[in-house]
Amino acid sequence: MKNKNWVWLIIGAILVLLFPVFFTLPFPRHLMIMIFLYATMGLAWNLIGGYAGQISLGHAIFFGTGAYTSTLMLMKLGITPWLGMLVGGLLSMGIAFVIGYPCFKLAGHYFAIATIAIGEIAMVLMINWDWAGSAVGLTLPILEEGLWNFEFHTTKAPYYYIAFGIMVFALFVTYGVDRSKLGFYFKAIKGDLEGARSLGINTHRYKFYALALSAFLTSICGSFYAQYVLFIDPDSTFPLLLSIILCLVATLGGVGTILGPVIGAAILIPISEFTRIYLGGGGKGTDLILYGFLIMIISIYQPFGVIGIAKRLRKRESR
Amino acid sequence: MLTTEIIIQTIVSGILMGCIYALVAVGLCLIWGLMEIVNFAHGDYLMMAMFTSFWAYTLAGIDPLLSLPLCLALLFAIGWFTYYIIIKKLLRATFLAQILATFGLGVFVRYLAQYMWSPDFRTIKEPLLAGNIGIGGIFVGTPQLVASIICVVAFVFLYVLMNKTELGFAILATSEDREAASLMGIDSHKMFALGWGVGCGCLGVAGAMMANFFYIFPEVGFNFGLIAYVAVALGGFGSVPGSFLAGIIIGVVEFLSGLIIAPAFKYAFVFLIYLLVVFIKPMGLFGRY
Amino acid sequence: MKKGLFIGFIAAGLLTLGLASPAPAQEVIKIGSIYPLTGPVGQAGINNKNAIELAMEIINTTKYKHLNVPLAGAGGLPNLKGAKVQVVFSDHQGKPDLGLSEAERMITQEKVVVLTGCYHSNVTETASMVAERMKFPFYNFESSSPKLTQRGYKWFFRSSPHDETFSEAMFAFVKEYGQKKKIQFKTIAVMYEDTLYGKDSARIEKLLADKAGYKVVADIPFRRGATSLTSEIQKLKAASPDIFFPTCYISDAILMTKTSKELDYNAPMVMAQNSGHTEPSFLEAVGKDADGIASREEFSLDLAKHKPMLTEINQMYKDRYGRDFSGPAARAFVGFLALCDAINRAGSTNPEAIREAIKKTNIPGDKLITPWRGIQFDENGQNILVDAIVIQYQDGAKRYTIYPFNLATREIVYPIPRWSERK
Repeated sequence: MKNKNWVWLIIGAILVLLFPVFFTLPFPRHLMIMIFLYATMGLAWNLIGGYAGQISLGHAIFFGTGAYTSTLMLMKLGITPWLGMLVGGLLSMGIAFVIGYPCFKLAGHYFAIATIAIGEIAMVLMINWDWAGSAVGLTLPILEEGLWNFEFHTTKAPYYYIAFGIMVFALFVTYGVDRSKLGFYFKAIKGDLEGARSLGINTHRYKFYALALSAFLTSICGSFYAQYVLFIDPDSTFPLLLSIILCLVATLGGVGTILGPVIGAAILIPISEFTRIYLGGGGKGTDLILYGFLIMIISIYQPFGVIGIAKRLRKRESR
Repeated sequence: MLTTEIIIQTIVSGILMGCIYALVAVGLCLIWGLMEIVNFAHGDYLMMAMFTSFWAYTLAGIDPLLSLPLCLALLFAIGWFTYYIIIKKLLRATFLAQILATFGLGVFVRYLAQYMWSPDFRTIKEPLLAGNIGIGGIFVGTPQLVASIICVVAFVFLYVLMNKTELGFAILATSEDREAASLMGIDSHKMFALGWGVGCGCLGVAGAMMANFFYIFPEVGFNFGLIAYVAVALGGFGSVPGSFLAGIIIGVVEFLSGLIIAPAFKYAFVFLIYLLVVFIKPMGLFGRY
Repeated sequence: MKKGLFIGFIAAGLLTLGLASPAPAQEVIKIGSIYPLTGPVGQAGINNKNAIELAMEIINTTKYKHLNVPLAGAGGLPNLKGAKVQVVFSDHQGKPDLGLSEAERMITQEKVVVLTGCYHSNVTETASMVAERMKFPFYNFESSSPKLTQRGYKWFFRSSPHDETFSEAMFAFVKEYGQKKKIQFKTIAVMYEDTLYGKDSARIEKLLADKAGYKVVADIPFRRGATSLTSEIQKLKAASPDIFFPTCYISDAILMTKTSKELDYNAPMVMAQNSGHTEPSFLEAVGKDADGIASREEFSLDLAKHKPMLTEINQMYKDRYGRDFSGPAARAFVGFLALCDAINRAGSTNPEAIREAIKKTNIPGDKLITPWRGIQFDENGQNILVDAIVIQYQDGAKRYTIYPFNLATREIVYPIPRWSERK
């Protein structure tokens, strides 16, 4: 990367780190935490959907798995959510393999609808699984504040830094993939599946890698969410709408790019949170009206997202 | 006790509901068949049809049975304009862009409806079609029975239109080979718009009929849309009769599994059937693509 | 370059927001109220909102000094320099995660002094969890899941009964009625919506059935906000229980009744858990098809025989909002007045002080429009002086008290006439 970009990034990182010092009210911090969370999930989706070109519309299953695994391990076995997060991530990777095996045979629309079908089946199972709380959901016990318990009640600052850390981790992973052979193979699969196969690339195996990585990252976000909100139920952790929003975050910013999902989250999340706060409490869905509209506009006019727009502007400037 | 009578009753209920699923699926399949775009806003357009019927009843006292032509015409027009305003620009777009665009449209329509009309559940209090008909121990709701009959009639009408009329040939020709068709003087854009109009017209019919007995609220279409995609994929993309049959199969599976296994899992079974079929036959039951 | 833009954009947006926050007005005491105001159960939330606003009017004005309820005609809260009470309402649409975020918003942005709500037991669960986490008082008027006061919370209070009390009343009625008429009831079925409310209610009903020696022949949970209950009612029909115990909200109750009629399912006795089956909008939707349905309740106009002020207060409600009190609305009315009385006794807006004052609540039964002995909380925050009644709809959806027998104005119609026999 060029030197100029590194400087901007470092300045940005410092500003982000100092943010909670200047903004002490809960709402701005909450906003940033949500941006970090969705940016991470967008980055995760980007690995399989953006780089490898497999459009998954069932990613919420990994989010939910992460949330429920760490929560159940905490509530039934008393194990710290950090370990639960790891276990959840591994479990999600396992689910990714199980899903991938039959689904990667499918093409295009059939694959997308298969991912929707699997996501909905997962939702129905969770709604009816009494041991895991079923439709009632799980309310996490209010434990003493602390890093080990992964619960903080008097201030959101620790959550802020943890979420930021998770996002930075996801950025590193994406950067690593982008510059590596793995990334090269992913892009080859996206660009021309048959061509890639004829070059001897084991496309199934690389699709697996992409999905597994993606699943792990998404799952971590689920565990974080559970510890942040202290309440999970199937409607908030497995819904189709969540899967779509993850896809949207990545696409709005710029599919297949490193910073795309971050930009996408930075635009979408404030819309959602501001409309919630200012247009009357209780989700009239005004943010979703805007989302829907935005999705349409971006898909029609600039499917390469904000980064695509920026690139086009830059090209025009340099003439 | 699960008597044969109750099982037959359940299958009948399933077939009746399935006919409605079938018509909705046919509309979706038509649109796909023409231009290979899956309309993720399909369910939400169905919701619009139901609301049209509701408002016609509430504001003007028109019974849903009588507002059927209105719903049909309105949804046809909406479909037509959707093509020209939005879909036309997506013809050459990437797969992701197509999915997202129609998805965005669906979300937009759904939450606009919620904003304008609130999430309250509405019903048509006294429709003309009410009550039930008992035939030897089997009870069927009159609205459901009439709805499914009308859906079947609509399908037959559609089939004749597509396969036996010149207009139908023109549409089919365009879907097979756009360039050849335009060389023959067929305006492909008009054909596509027509396809959208007819596909959404199906929703107009289904929606007006459902308004007789179903709750009407902004998110009602979502589930129906999902079932329609599953039906089209199950029947196989490109096969209109396949979609119709798949819709009925899904209705029966849903109700039977609800009775025999557990009502809570009925939708899981529908999706499971899809996955099973698609893993064995990756192009659905009768698919050509 | 774009990174800079992005940071600048975020910073600008947050600057406006992060530093500005509404300053709390001193002359008004704000109470937060989270209810379903739209959606399939919206009408129930609106009924409660209306009841609360009526209670507010009684406190904040001086017109109603003659009413024998707490703080009647006080013109504000006397111990807080006559500060008026103001309620901030918010809509959760039946979604627990919305309830949760709204609770947080009310406490941190709106600066309310107490949180109330939420009608739906599952939303009350999450909203009160937020309050407990932030050491903030939560006063619930009408959610009935027993679990809510079994969590060991220190900041949660519930002024109305829970489903153990309610179900015990229903089963007691069945037992006494059976003894009186020499009828041997053998089987029951439970059908319930799948959130906390339905599940907890069914759990208790099954427990009590077991104790009384009834066999549970069908146990049918269903997704709340259902759009089709055909399979469920079919299962019920196949099981053919002596008594049917449904637990659900408005839209489900309407669908259940309509589907039963469609499929010709005839239950000899129906014992409902209030909410869906006794809301005015349910009655408006199904009309005389509701006849025969019995339910536990907290409010019935015919109780005015024993509490005359019931008639006047109900008339006030009816004049303003066009319908009679429903059970939950009556509970909201009573609970709100009790809450304001506690805030007044606290004489401060400090959460700890308010909590202490609530704990010391002791309001006698004659000051309530509900059939309770009074309001007094145990160490779990549950009102222990509560009682329940059982009502039944007869003669075109008219409500009559059928239990306890000393308060009853009519006898139960049993068995319920078949659909084919009704006009």
